[in-house]
Amino acid sequence: MLRLMPTAATLEVGQSGVVSTVEGTDTTTLRLLEMGLVEGTAITLIRRAPTGDPLQFRVRGFHLSLRTSEAHRVRLEGPTS
Amino acid sequence: MRIAVAGNPNVGKTSLFNQLTGSRHSVGNYPGMTVEQREGGLASRWGVMPHRFIDLPGTYSISAVSEDEAVAFRCLQGVDGSPPEAVLLVLDASNLARNLYFALQVLELGRPTVVALNMVDAAREAGIDVDAEALEACLGVPVVATVARTGDGVDTLVAAFERARPGSPAANDDDVGDALVAVLANLEDAGVSGAQARWLICSQAADTVELTGATPSQVAALEALDREDCWAAAREIVAGRYRHVETMLETLGVADRLDGAPAMETSERVDAVLTHPFFGLVGFVATMALVFVSIYFWADPLVGLIEDAFGASSELVSEALGPGLFTDLITEGLIAGVGNVLVFVPQIAMLFLFLGLLEDSGYLARAAFLLDKLMSKLGLHGRAFIPLLSGYACAIPAIMGTRTISSWKDRVVTMMMIPYMSCSARLPIYALIIGALFVTKPEEAWISPSTDRGLLLLSMYLLSTVSALVMGYIYKRTILASPTPPLVLELPPYRLPRVANTLRVVWDKTLAFIKGAGTVILAFTIVLWAVLSFPREETGAGGDGPTRIEASYGGRVAKSFEPLVEPIGQDWRVGIGILGSFAAREVLVSTLGLAYGMEADDDDPVQLREAMRNDVDEVGKPVHTKLSGLALMVFFVYACQCMSTVAVVKRETRGWRWPAFMFVSMTLIAYIAALIVFQGGRLLGFG
Repeated sequence: MLRLMPTAATLEVGQSGVVSTVEGTDTTTLRLLEMGLVEGTAITLIRRAPTGDPLQFRVRGFHLSLRTSEAHRVRLEGPTS
Repeated sequence: MRIAVAGNPNVGKTSLFNQLTGSRHSVGNYPGMTVEQREGGLASRWGVMPHRFIDLPGTYSISAVSEDEAVAFRCLQGVDGSPPEAVLLVLDASNLARNLYFALQVLELGRPTVVALNMVDAAREAGIDVDAEALEACLGVPVVATVARTGDGVDTLVAAFERARPGSPAANDDDVGDALVAVLANLEDAGVSGAQARWLICSQAADTVELTGATPSQVAALEALDREDCWAAAREIVAGRYRHVETMLETLGVADRLDGAPAMETSERVDAVLTHPFFGLVGFVATMALVFVSIYFWADPLVGLIEDAFGASSELVSEALGPGLFTDLITEGLIAGVGNVLVFVPQIAMLFLFLGLLEDSGYLARAAFLLDKLMSKLGLHGRAFIPLLSGYACAIPAIMGTRTISSWKDRVVTMMMIPYMSCSARLPIYALIIGALFVTKPEEAWISPSTDRGLLLLSMYLLSTVSALVMGYIYKRTILASPTPPLVLELPPYRLPRVANTLRVVWDKTLAFIKGAGTVILAFTIVLWAVLSFPREETGAGGDGPTRIEASYGGRVAKSFEPLVEPIGQDWRVGIGILGSFAAREVLVSTLGLAYGMEADDDDPVQLREAMRNDVDEVGKPVHTKLSGLALMVFFVYACQCMSTVAVVKRETRGWRWPAFMFVSMTLIAYIAALIVFQGGRLLGFG
């Protein structure tokens, strides 16, 4: 079975992870980093929007909403609960 | 002192700005930009110091991703003018983890700064106790705890401006990685050093250097950097700042408490409902329905009042001045023109009042969250939905509402889409045509007369909605192509909206509309009046002679251009109607009435419907048929027959290029669509 690389988008609702890096070299990547998604940051998936996209996360004490495509850039070290 | 007020979005910056300036503020534009700027002097209750405050747009980072965020940086740096003498940095005490990142960036700029630690009441309730003095020690600048909502602490804040000084948030230098050291050295050699280098590196990485106003030599130095090195350096800069933030939070003793997002605890429970797959969408539809029904309910009578008031003044003036050209110029030109402008005020005020309250409460972020999937299919941000939806009521406030869209190109795309949404002014037209030409005999009905008519009306609305979405799709891929903006949206805690703040916004927007679009609307009114009333020959109304409107320049033009409207199934009377409806769509009805020789103030559409139904040409064939009626409706689905829309787009885009494009393209599309309907229908044998 193919092991999916853990990203913020592969989290289950209620699950947490720790950010390892943010993929990409564009404006969105910088914005994701500057919103606090740097290495070592804890991130929790709170819910998905009605149609599955976007996703709502808890990060550094606030709620951040990301599209699945954006969340996929946020690589995790490995999900913890 | 000129003091720039900076901070993240949702920290109560507007509240604080309003507290500081009282009612003394003006709205203008940042130099060279389409972003609005609010400026104001210190309200007298806080003292007589000649401080001037500039309200910067809320921004998450000095490294801007959009034009309005770039404004914050440019203002603080003094790119387009002299930099402010001091900076008032507003932080949300209950959300320090991210707010302090921006704080560090601002302090890196080296301007004398004062920090307002706002929303300390909400923070305390969430169990986050931030010691202002401890924070002051960390940052090296005066820190004053405030509750902008109530005005607590503002007097202390004003006193603190005297002590404004550049901060000392030197990043932990021992923590700097190799990549960053190398890049900084490179830039140092090229003459770019210190704090400047840090944010220029980030801008270069994100390809937003052109927003920063960097000098050519700086740009060259940045371009010379290896892209990968630049990115590695940028990542280190950001990570370094957040490490610094974490250290500060530990020192303040709030790190652990903040992690659990206590400020969002209640909001999370509310969100469980409001962003629920079913209840969330139901809640959204219900909220929007409530807003629109309220607008209709409250604005309509006010509009009626305004129309009556202007009608009455017209009569007064006529009586006072007696009949004649000058009188008509005043009543039908000037007074009618001013009336045409003011008649929008209730709708603008109501829509911005409701939307302002929803925004302040935090709900609009949830709306953007719910609708982003649909909007991003078009290439737009979820925030674009509300302005689009508002177009169903009236395009004017909807177009003004596109301010919430950060990307300029996306804002224009949305503005171009809005007039396609069937606004309420189209209803009288649909009602007239459907009532006159469709299901006139009960036996013709498919299901039942009223159901048939209702279905026909619905299909016009459906056509317009689909067309708006299609046009948006096309524009995003052709003339206004730009990538779909990232969502990366903060969902702030739900808060009770500050009505005072919202009322201020409503006032600003209404005034802006009157000043910016008013003159254009007034001018168009006078021109249209002239075209449809000159030359002023005495003619008989109805009967055998030509009506006055028929003999006007406009009427003559319409008659000679009849061959142009024949292919879409219309005659010269409708031609005059289309000409007149440029003032406002519903004017088609009254103009058409005039063309059929009815009295100007005859509001009864039944007579007009009869006239249209029974109108026959020289050989006895009906002038208006179901097919020609359908073609006319389709024409009005697409045509931009609204001078006020043109005026507002001109104001919002600061030029005539876009309104001209919008008008011409929509008219062309309207004509072609009507052509397809009419000629196609004829080919298919619908006659």
